[in-house]
Amino acid sequence: MSEKLGILVGTDKHLDYVINLTKAAHAKGKTVEIFFTGYGVYLTQKPEFEQLVGKAKLSVCDVSFRAYGLSGDVPGVGFKDFATQARNAEMMIECDRYVVF
Amino acid sequence: MKKVAVVIKDVKQQYEGLRTSLGALLDNVEIQMFVLNHEIENMDEAYHDNMELLDEMEGERFSNNSANVEKYGFVHTTLKEAAQKLRAADLVIPF
Amino acid sequence: MKILHLLRSEPDETVERLIEAMTDNEDETTVKPLFKPNLDWSRLVDEIFSHDKVISWW
Repeated sequence: MSEKLGILVGTDKHLDYVINLTKAAHAKGKTVEIFFTGYGVYLTQKPEFEQLVGKAKLSVCDVSFRAYGLSGDVPGVGFKDFATQARNAEMMIECDRYVVF
Repeated sequence: MKKVAVVIKDVKQQYEGLRTSLGALLDNVEIQMFVLNHEIENMDEAYHDNMELLDEMEGERFSNNSANVEKYGFVHTTLKEAAQKLRAADLVIPF
Repeated sequence: MKILHLLRSEPDETVERLIEAMTDNEDETTVKPLFKPNLDWSRLVDEIFSHDKVISWW
């Protein structure tokens, strides 16, 4: 199995880091999982967000998404991927490396 | 069991850091939460209840801010002591 | 232990003190500012997986 990289995105400051790291890790055959929470959910509204689709398993904290007044579809994020903090905890446990932006 | 340190320095992320800590505790992750430099800005009912839940679930909480220690029962830590705990953790999550 | 410190932004005094206090003489420590131009992201992936511990500071 390929090595797994978890990325927790809790701010809306570094979408460029998230995209660059995801693309580079995907190109090297790593499995990438990203969880957007808190202010990080705002990044789901940026046009550049679509660049992550197909390169990582994307999940969004449903509570944060609704708390910040967002609604509607997010590219690459299915119904079940609007998740709770448990998804982040799974990432902590399962990923070989875990970074935070 | 994985040991995770949640380190909260940004005042605006104090509640998010606590939520992340609780989510991890519910999934059997060992949690040490550090609130650095600042007093808890908004000790509302939600923060207070979740902080109590963290205590009940045997999460640990530390702060180098004396108001957090005196008013809210955080265990006092210095930055140097905190750094040693971060070194021993499997994951460090800065907020 | 090999520790990789990622700096999301210019480090403040707290970050500098934490990194310094975390460092043991026997550690191999790498500090990587992500905000500097022309970062080699492919190389960064290798570094992330070749270190025992990765911390993404503020």
